[in-house]
Amino acid sequence: MINALVNRLLLSIPVLIGVVIFGFLLIKMAPGDPAQIMAGPAATPEIIARIREQMGLDQPLIVQLGRYAERLIQGDLGRSLISNRSVASELGAAIGPTVELMIASLIWAVPLGIGMGTIAAVKRGSWVDRAIMAVSVAGVSLPIFFIALVLMQFLGVTLQILPFMGRGGPLWTVDGLRHVAIPALSLGLIFVGPVARMTRSSVLEVLRLDHVRTARAKGLTERRVILRHALRNALIPVVTLIGLQAGYLLGGAVVTETIFSYPGIGRLAVGAILSSDFPLAQGTLLVLALGFIIINMIVDMLYAILDPRAQKS
Amino acid sequence: MSAVDAAAAVEAAPARRHWFVALMRDPAAAIAIIVFVLIAVAAALAPWLAPYDPTESTRNMMLPPVWAERGIPEHLLGTDGQGRDILSRLLYGTRMTLLIGLIAVVAGGGIGSLLGLLAAFYSRLDPWIMRSADVMLSFPAILLGLALVAVMGAGIMPVILALAIATVPDSARIARSVAVGVMKQEFVEAGRAVGLSDRTLFTRYLLRNCISSIMIFMSLRFGQVILLGSALSFLGLGARPPASELGMMASQGRDFMLFAPHIAIIPSLAIFVIVLTANVAGDALRDVLDPRMRS
Amino acid sequence: MKTKKTLGLAAAASITALSGAWASEINIAREMDANNYDPHKTTALAAAEILFMLGDTLIAIEPDMQTITPGLATSWEMSEDGLTYTFKLRDDVKFCDGRAMTADDVVYSFSRWLDPATNSPVNWRAGEVESITAPDATTVVYKLKSPFSELLYQLTQSFATIIDKNQVEAMGADFGIQGMNGTGPYCWESWNPRDQLTMTKHAGYAWGPDFYENKGEAQIDRLVWQVVPEENTRTIALMTDQTQITQYVPYIALEQLKSAPNVNVVQSDSAFWTYFIGFKIDKDTVADPAVRRAINMAVDQDALAQGQFFGGVLGAHSYISPETKDWDPALEAELPPYDPAAANALLDEAGWVPGSDGIRVKDGVRLAPVGYFFTGSTWQKLSEYTQAELRKIGVDLQIEVFDATVAWGKMATQEFDAFGMSYPYVSAGDALNLYFPSTNIPTPNRMNWDDAETDQWLDEGKAALDDATRAGAYSKVLHKVHDANVWLPLIHEPRTIVSSTRLAPIVPHSNYGAALYKGLDLKLVE
Repeated sequence: MINALVNRLLLSIPVLIGVVIFGFLLIKMAPGDPAQIMAGPAATPEIIARIREQMGLDQPLIVQLGRYAERLIQGDLGRSLISNRSVASELGAAIGPTVELMIASLIWAVPLGIGMGTIAAVKRGSWVDRAIMAVSVAGVSLPIFFIALVLMQFLGVTLQILPFMGRGGPLWTVDGLRHVAIPALSLGLIFVGPVARMTRSSVLEVLRLDHVRTARAKGLTERRVILRHALRNALIPVVTLIGLQAGYLLGGAVVTETIFSYPGIGRLAVGAILSSDFPLAQGTLLVLALGFIIINMIVDMLYAILDPRAQKS
Repeated sequence: MSAVDAAAAVEAAPARRHWFVALMRDPAAAIAIIVFVLIAVAAALAPWLAPYDPTESTRNMMLPPVWAERGIPEHLLGTDGQGRDILSRLLYGTRMTLLIGLIAVVAGGGIGSLLGLLAAFYSRLDPWIMRSADVMLSFPAILLGLALVAVMGAGIMPVILALAIATVPDSARIARSVAVGVMKQEFVEAGRAVGLSDRTLFTRYLLRNCISSIMIFMSLRFGQVILLGSALSFLGLGARPPASELGMMASQGRDFMLFAPHIAIIPSLAIFVIVLTANVAGDALRDVLDPRMRS
Repeated sequence: MKTKKTLGLAAAASITALSGAWASEINIAREMDANNYDPHKTTALAAAEILFMLGDTLIAIEPDMQTITPGLATSWEMSEDGLTYTFKLRDDVKFCDGRAMTADDVVYSFSRWLDPATNSPVNWRAGEVESITAPDATTVVYKLKSPFSELLYQLTQSFATIIDKNQVEAMGADFGIQGMNGTGPYCWESWNPRDQLTMTKHAGYAWGPDFYENKGEAQIDRLVWQVVPEENTRTIALMTDQTQITQYVPYIALEQLKSAPNVNVVQSDSAFWTYFIGFKIDKDTVADPAVRRAINMAVDQDALAQGQFFGGVLGAHSYISPETKDWDPALEAELPPYDPAAANALLDEAGWVPGSDGIRVKDGVRLAPVGYFFTGSTWQKLSEYTQAELRKIGVDLQIEVFDATVAWGKMATQEFDAFGMSYPYVSAGDALNLYFPSTNIPTPNRMNWDDAETDQWLDEGKAALDDATRAGAYSKVLHKVHDANVWLPLIHEPRTIVSSTRLAPIVPHSNYGAALYKGLDLKLVE
């Protein structure tokens, strides 16, 4: 397991370097003059020229990349062109809310999906199975913004039981929980379907395997067979799925955060890119890529825990 | 010659012969396919079917659909906030949305599968291709779309490009995993033994044996791509006004959610139906063609 | 069924009870956040509406946008040559941190505004300053190099907010980001960009402008400014009492909100914010005065105001609203009327011939001007409406849309034929001196309007020592630019405030569009 982790870490270095260069170049190609943006709408050409010099924008590209990398290594992500706040503090303020939103979404969606998938697999072919699968495929097919708008209308306006605007505070406070509820319901919903489908098919797969048959033959109850043998193995692909679908989750988070005015990193990234706030955009891209690497690392670890065979190899 | 025949025999799985018949025997799949085809045909015929110019605004704004109070038969699905006929925009919008999804999946899936097959075929290339795929995977489609929009400006092109690029690494992975299995089979050895060229082996055996799995992946991916594309459009990164695109229509409609919800709901439901039918059909196709591939 | 209902009601009550931690707290929804809250480094409306509450200016302006009234200064005098202004300050003013404000703070604030090192994009608003000095703790002498008849109006703007030298020096680049210690009725509590800015009432505040009924301490303990970019969300947040007041309500919702039982809608009588499309007059497509006149005759601004904005705005036929100080009513008869048939005839006459696609062509130039516009629903409505109207006279407006931050840079170039813009103003001079001097080419004079007479009249207006001279000079400029149809005016936007009936109704202010201005009349109904 340690080996696998070290491997992962080593492999992630080229990925990170690639992301840094990619982010740097992509943003450099974008239209819009950073100095102009920093100077604001009514700035004179002299002010803009002065800022350009201060920022080193008159240097060749490779020099700029070098300086950018140098500052990155020192942990300096620069300052936002628009707010002049340090990118690190902007990111720091936005990461927490997004992680909370994702946790609040997954914490109910994944168990529900696994439960639904397992039941469907066990009752394979029955109307229960068909119903669960129909619901799942419908869930997979719903646009996230539609779910969000409908939930907001229903829970927020018609019933008026939950707020739908901004963030109330940390997740562990009542206000924080209430505010994250509708966004987390929306975001989680798009995840229930894939998890249920994946669980069902992998449970079915596992039920066919030898050791499960043996367990059955030994006279263990069906419940025990499923919980102790089948489900554990069936969870492996589900865990992988969560890693693979992290991008999908993030896409959903961007839309959700936008609709509910939730101050997370998805909205920050969209705002930074759309407003050509180059340092902030680079920072968000980097952090999100890093987030992916971390998620996949966690997935690898879970994988090792769930699958004893992977530990040996 | 005999080696080729042997390989052909391996390749022809019995289930594939009547796959269409088998597919249509499943009522859900049959309905999904019929609905999807109807939608696609209607979208393709948008210029002839649409009662109005989709960009032409009238002074009749926010009319509800004909079955609601105040609805009029001139505008069957009502009008949007600019007084444009929703039915006409829906037809054109569906066409645009389907096109975006189709181009992205075919281009991205094609390139990705080719890379995946190459990785399986030439083991020297394998680490390079799969490592690159990993780098690409750390840029989720939505971010890629945002970044491309930052460079190219909002429009359909950056969205298609982003969706296509985002499809590349996944399809490379799938194609590789299928191809690695195929490569282990005897006929590849046999083909090499009788001196078939790499090119022949690659196109005639590897590709042919993997193509159904790749097609299944693409059909399953199609719905996801449509959803992602509509999310990008919803965020204001996709098609530019006055063009019609379903995600953009929904996005424009959300400002009217309170007073004229149909403006956002109709295109959202259209996306839902398209993706749903594509998913159901894709699932059924997979079950029929390749019962083993269930993930 | 019954239990369900009670559940819903109980929960609804708990939404409102959320603010229980404070004696009184209200939530203010707005569309966007400002880049920072340093008065010298931002021109955003979102910053002005905060700065007016956190800080004060020497003088204030009444809601009529004409009358200057005491603020931190109790009185002021202008010398006969119009070069020296002497302000007498109150002696009881304190910053939020408790320190007493003196004339030195005023001198520091203005000096920083003018200092080239500050890079302030708005320092022209302070005039050509010779020196600013403080002979004693309650006197400030403001000396100009040349007369500037706009000065008092400019000093009512948020850019002239008095700031705390100690804090600016202590915070450095973080001033206006981590905090902003002012003398206003509310004090900075915290800011999470693009999310929330919170402020608490300034205990001991007693120097509010005269036109407020309450000139003392604010009547709300805490204000939460919540950024809510989604129009629909802002509307339903109001209806469900998650926010109590906003000036950013979509026009479509106004009618319905007016009849909603728990919501008050108030609108300012006049509008000092105008949306227009400007033309680069040296571009082939729009260089012909006949084309610009025809465009002005082809767009029905009143129908635009009614249809797209549900009557929440006024159709604009002039470049500033007719209530503006120094507007010339004689001009009204000369403005081009809405008459598409005459517009078509005018273009025919000028030799612009419709091609096979209906778009007019002359000497190989297709009448397809490229217009640069901002993103957002307002400009989408305006630009698409104009596009549709112009198509009817054979003009094919090309709409290119940019996010605000990119748009400013794009609009400083020469690559477009037309541009969409909106702006707040206090007077004709304020508006004209911004857009029409040749020295302001390429931006904000994006029209490339280079006219010696205009420059001369603008200088006359600026240097004028009496109202009649100033109004006369600006009237000449107004006539000239309207005759040349340099712009296509679209709408004048009044300030509209929608608030919960739990709040006492408020008179919207128009200063720089900050409708709540100092927020002294924000009050919960008993």
